[in-house]
Amino acid sequence: MSLPARLLLLQVLAPLVAILFGAVVASGILLAIDRDPLAVYGQMLRFTLTRADSLASIFFKATPLILAGLAAALAFRASLWNIGVEGQYYVGAILAAYVGFAVRGLPGVVHLPLAVLAGAAGGAAWAFLPIALRLRRGAHEVITTIMMNYIAAALVLYLLEPGLLRDPAQAGTPRVRTPEVLPGARLPSLRPLLDLVGLQIPGYSSLNGMLVVGLLLCVLFALVLRRTTFGFEVRAVAANPQAAEAAGIPLGRVLFTMFLLSGAVAGLVGLSDTLGFFGYFDIDFPKGYGFLGISVALLARNHPVGVIPAALLLAFLDRGAQGVQVFAGVPREVITIMQGVIILAIVVAYELLTRYLRALRKREAARAEPARPPLPAPGEGRRAGEAAGGGTP
Amino acid sequence: MDTGPPVIELRRITKRFPGVVANDRVDLAVHAGEIHALVGENGAGKSTLMKILYGLYLPDEGEVVVRGRPVRLESPRQALRLGIGMVHQHFMLIPRFTVTENVILGAEPVRRGDRLALREAEAAVAAIARRYGFAIDPRALVADLSVGEQQRVEIIKVLYRGAEVLILDEPTAVLAPQEVEDLFENLRRLRAQGKTIIFISHRLEEVLAIADRVTVLRRGAVVGTVRAAETTRAQLAEMMVGRPVLLAVERRETAPGPVRLHAEGLWALDGRGLPRVRDVTFEVRAGEIYALAGVEGNGQSELVEALVGLRPIARGRLRIDGRDVTHAGPRAIRLLGVAHIPEDRHRRGLVLPMEVRENLVLGHHTRPEFTRGPLLRQAAVDRFAADRVRAYDVRVPSLATPALALSGGNQQKVVVAREFAFDPQVLVAAQPTRGLDIGATEFVQQQLMEAKARGMAVLLVSVSLDEVFSLADRIGVLFHGEVVGEFRRGEVTPQELGLYMTGAKRQVPA
Repeated sequence: MSLPARLLLLQVLAPLVAILFGAVVASGILLAIDRDPLAVYGQMLRFTLTRADSLASIFFKATPLILAGLAAALAFRASLWNIGVEGQYYVGAILAAYVGFAVRGLPGVVHLPLAVLAGAAGGAAWAFLPIALRLRRGAHEVITTIMMNYIAAALVLYLLEPGLLRDPAQAGTPRVRTPEVLPGARLPSLRPLLDLVGLQIPGYSSLNGMLVVGLLLCVLFALVLRRTTFGFEVRAVAANPQAAEAAGIPLGRVLFTMFLLSGAVAGLVGLSDTLGFFGYFDIDFPKGYGFLGISVALLARNHPVGVIPAALLLAFLDRGAQGVQVFAGVPREVITIMQGVIILAIVVAYELLTRYLRALRKREAARAEPARPPLPAPGEGRRAGEAAGGGTP
Repeated sequence: MDTGPPVIELRRITKRFPGVVANDRVDLAVHAGEIHALVGENGAGKSTLMKILYGLYLPDEGEVVVRGRPVRLESPRQALRLGIGMVHQHFMLIPRFTVTENVILGAEPVRRGDRLALREAEAAVAAIARRYGFAIDPRALVADLSVGEQQRVEIIKVLYRGAEVLILDEPTAVLAPQEVEDLFENLRRLRAQGKTIIFISHRLEEVLAIADRVTVLRRGAVVGTVRAAETTRAQLAEMMVGRPVLLAVERRETAPGPVRLHAEGLWALDGRGLPRVRDVTFEVRAGEIYALAGVEGNGQSELVEALVGLRPIARGRLRIDGRDVTHAGPRAIRLLGVAHIPEDRHRRGLVLPMEVRENLVLGHHTRPEFTRGPLLRQAAVDRFAADRVRAYDVRVPSLATPALALSGGNQQKVVVAREFAFDPQVLVAAQPTRGLDIGATEFVQQQLMEAKARGMAVLLVSVSLDEVFSLADRIGVLFHGEVVGEFRRGEVTPQELGLYMTGAKRQVPA
């Protein structure tokens, strides 16, 4: 088999082996609680993959995870540790909700994009302080973004005070939330679109346009990193900032841009829920996407497109856990353990793969070296010099 | 001296690492009371062999025989018990301890009641120093010692532990010429007292000056063992490389042109705000090589960074082609035609995980021929990279090979090929041949000479006096961040330059 084909095969196999390993570990637990692992897995697969509502649910659950994973991956790709996706999506979500209910009189084609952009702006704004502190003062972004998460949590609570963003119509009820966003700012359901291609999903599914936005952003950022000059600079800065600096790449500007982009994508994480499902931001708004996003990025090895299957895997396991809990009476923690083991196993598998690859490359290079005479004769050296003097690419 | 019985014998030693055979059936016999040099290019397997002898690696095959008895060396401690000691290239000393405290560290003598017998230890250290003629004060703080003296402490450390066989790993790499002389004097004293010394080096003159016998390694295998008195530099070099080698670059004489690089009273600070470059003034003209010699750590790194825009200039003025670039950043300076071969190619020169073609275009990637709007033109990059690889004979399996897979010599070729592209006018080359084997060194030095012949202004910063003397048209000496002397080619001998390098002499500022 040719080398590239073998590498591709290995890269596909590594996560599959890791998933299998997670399943084996979970089997041990299932056996310990007197369950037949094969029966449980069979039930889980049937429940998740043969029912349209399950599939819709998986994709709906995956939507914020894709965006959170992408946000984390973008920062990690620049060797920046944005642990603040959690806080950034809170700020983005409440800001989008505000634009959704407070800005009136706009047509939907303007209002919805405006609300979505507000979410991105909120996330980017929340990322600004940590990266500015890092570049100006050297404060480590891990610390500052974690702090910013707490501040964001407190900030949204404050904003939900009566007289600020709390819905006055809910006064006297225990509901603490913003007013509903206007219909023009609601994210469209994907149901009509799927109907069109003949896929039937249940009417109560909240699968919405944010999924499409997430998928497009993943592809877009993969292209930016691979094909553009900016992407080249990002990769160089991430792998060796000192060499990048010596080559004249503006380090600070690259890091700043990537961090703000990460924050802006993070600002979109909560919009599937705010603008596509609840229609408001409330005190019980879903938490934890930011941290799940770190897992997703880890599974995807920070590859923007890899984020998609990684997020789907987590969403699949989550839905599967619901299934086995209801229909097989197996505690969902078993699946949670499996999830953790899979993440660990994938990280280990990738590390082994990277090392193997490195050794392979070295062997290849070592073979290439003695293939020609050890040195150019003096005359050849001169020719090399002249070629350099020409300086034409 | 090689008539005595071998004190150390390595028989058919083979050591494999994933993808390489570091030592391939190596036989080596070292006799008591000789200085045995081990030479070879980087990656020839010298260090691996010595690590086996010092108990850091176990051989896959073959055996180590010490004084006629086969032994299995599993740790440095065990090696020391058999009288084998290693003097490391990078000193392992605690600066705030005294000489004696450093020597006894890890083997502290104690009196009754577990009290440290410091006075006895001092006496013992003084006795060793006297016996072997080491000029050193046992109570001096290591922080106050010169590099040469610190090395003596390292040697005493090994002697204190009862070593009969001393392995010295590239001991002269950090020394000024006078210090090398002192070291050799010490080594001769040690030999006279019956100690055995294994001397690892790739500086051939030194090997010929000090060793009794020389064993040459190439690609993990022994090429041969010769008596130093019966061989020449050229022969050793040929054995190391496997083909005849030019030992000196052919000089090209050119008439210097206008001043390209002009530093005037430059000051630069280190990370703690202490001045590391003090009032440095010099100029480099088109078509000349200006070398800055000096012992490592005398401000060279900081000066180079200041010149290429990577370190702020605290005071003074820097001009390139008459243009003031005192406060310019690396990109602006690059765009004025300044190329930079950094002293540490892994840290500053290459992005190791990235592909060879990406490394070749690094810094040039914003040129219009490589971009279309925001996109990088991959095809143009590939063409450029293929051209560079061919012109500079970089040996790579493909342009997509990551730089980390290449040998040091090929990595440096990538840097040189990149920096010489697009016709730079000024070259700042910092330690451009450090860590390179003879073949690659020859290549780089030739390139510098070619660059000068084409009219480039070349600043060469080097700790190697050989390199400085074979390439430079003018030589400045850096000591404690100051230029303490400036000479034309032929105005100064290496010995005299050494006095400036160690601060023993300085020219009165005119």
